[in-house]
Amino acid sequence: MNIFQLVWRNSFRKKTRFSLTCLSVMIAFFLFSILAGINHALTSNVSSNNQYRLLTSHKISLARSLPLNYQQKISAIAGVDSVSYASWFGGFFKDETNQLAVLAVDHQSYFEMFDEYSMPKWQLEQWKNTRTGLVVGQAIANKYGWKVGDKVPLSSSIWMNREGVFTWQFTVSAIYQNATSASDEKQIFFQHAYFDKSRAYGRNMVSWLTPKVAEQADVDKVSQQIDKLFANSTGATRTTTEQVFIKERVQQFVDMAMVIKLVVIAVFFTLLLIVCNTMMQSNRERLNESAMMKALGFSSRFLITQVYLESFFMLALGALFGCISAQLCLAYVSHLFADFLPGMAIDNVHYLNVISLVFLAATLCSFLPALTLKRLTISNTLGAKA
Amino acid sequence: MQTNNPNKIAIQLKKINKSYQKGSNNVVVHDNFNLSIAEGEFVALMGPSGLGKSTLLHLIGGLDLPTSGHVIIDDQRIDTLSEGKLSIWRAENIGFVFQSHHLLPVLTAQGNVELPLLLTPLDSKQRKQHASLALRLVGMEERANHLPKELSGGQEQRVAIARAIVSDPKIILCDEPTGNLDRKTADEILTLLAALNKDYGKTIVMVTHDLRASEYASRVINLEQHIEEGKQSQLSAVEVNS
Repeated sequence: MNIFQLVWRNSFRKKTRFSLTCLSVMIAFFLFSILAGINHALTSNVSSNNQYRLLTSHKISLARSLPLNYQQKISAIAGVDSVSYASWFGGFFKDETNQLAVLAVDHQSYFEMFDEYSMPKWQLEQWKNTRTGLVVGQAIANKYGWKVGDKVPLSSSIWMNREGVFTWQFTVSAIYQNATSASDEKQIFFQHAYFDKSRAYGRNMVSWLTPKVAEQADVDKVSQQIDKLFANSTGATRTTTEQVFIKERVQQFVDMAMVIKLVVIAVFFTLLLIVCNTMMQSNRERLNESAMMKALGFSSRFLITQVYLESFFMLALGALFGCISAQLCLAYVSHLFADFLPGMAIDNVHYLNVISLVFLAATLCSFLPALTLKRLTISNTLGAKA
Repeated sequence: MQTNNPNKIAIQLKKINKSYQKGSNNVVVHDNFNLSIAEGEFVALMGPSGLGKSTLLHLIGGLDLPTSGHVIIDDQRIDTLSEGKLSIWRAENIGFVFQSHHLLPVLTAQGNVELPLLLTPLDSKQRKQHASLALRLVGMEERANHLPKELSGGQEQRVAIARAIVSDPKIILCDEPTGNLDRKTADEILTLLAALNKDYGKTIVMVTHDLRASEYASRVINLEQHIEEGKQSQLSAVEVNS
């Protein structure tokens, strides 16, 4: 017999009440963990490993193109190290349901600047020397069983080539892995030069430019200078860091996450009330026993510790089952949403948050019973009436 | 078995005043109350309801504090001790038996008896041995693994007595220990308490309405009479002094 056995026995005193309260805790932590998994998917691609990369797009919309000659003009600005560019192809493979993220990029500079995409050097050289070559993400290559050297037709819903068809012929020249995020192995790149010469319209235009700022330069100042340079032209620009750009793109999802977060906070608040009420009820039912324990010599501190451990046990058990169910659920769902929302996973920081939350909730839930126990008068409770 | 010195005062209440607030009224329970109990005595405190018998028991056990006056147990004033020290003192010196046994329903008889030993430095094995011995003394050894709901009223009270004696306190305080029991079981409990007093030298103070308790106690104090005598002696003292 020790305090832990006492806590264990007291916890299961009312089995139904304990199970139901535990279930409420489990559901709350399940929701919390599922949200964390979704949030992880929304934000995992935001953290760029290069804070010196900028993104210059048309001021009005990303759908509007910018002249290719902006590359030279931006390169001339003091503090700019190099400039690359890209255009959105918007492709699919065979069927429109097989949507792909296909970009036409400057084959001379793009992979020097975006060094997080790693591939064998010979493959990169091969791609640079192959006009119709593709650099394919490992995940896409795996999905469609593509190997280096395979001929692959990709269709675009935007771009028609000079032959008057929307299906373009390519050859897989390289397959890349992403060193920083496994979720970003789903893109396809091909040479902008081939794209520009072969497309039926919109030549010498790009979707966006990516200037790289020298490490000693002031990023904000350079951004302002770029936008100032084109301020009075038809192709006015908006330059932000790459991190800000990606954050803005996922903003719609992050807002949704915020709504879900608020819902979860409401659920947790309700949960706190439920657990708090359970603990108070349980404590009230045992006041005579608590008074007797005090009479036997147990201090208020011992009884409060006991109540705290009971709250903690109930919350920890619920949280444990909640996290395990969320983990299993995410493992299943992440396969189904692999294309739409990749990267759904629970990271270790979330588990630290859960542990902290359990400690905090246990403290809050045992506060009122602790107060009652502290104020408990043995003689009044055990029935001395003059 | 403890060796007692019958001339030694084990419990002494000196000029005890106890009052409490009931709404806007100040209710006086004891006014200048004095009582001495020698070591090894088995005292039955009797008298009509409302005279403050249980309050006295709680004052002796350190469960409540007097408004004024001294509570001296074994030459130690306990009314000046802090709540924490009083808890430790109770654990070491007093065993309680109440009318309602207040056994923890989630623990077996053995577990309930072991409970006060959690406050001692004894290890798990020693605690088990002590609890088994206490249960044997009250004749409940065979029921050690039963939960309170599986025991009769008399058996529950026996377990409560085992819990009161397990840490070997010098003083056992009983508040109506036979109040909820039938005659036969009450006699068994009183016999057991008398044996603890006689064979093991425990000082026992028992609040009771049970007239047959006087047959077991070494001294019966009728509280009403005791208070009256106290007042008389006070008056005499005043007259002598004047």
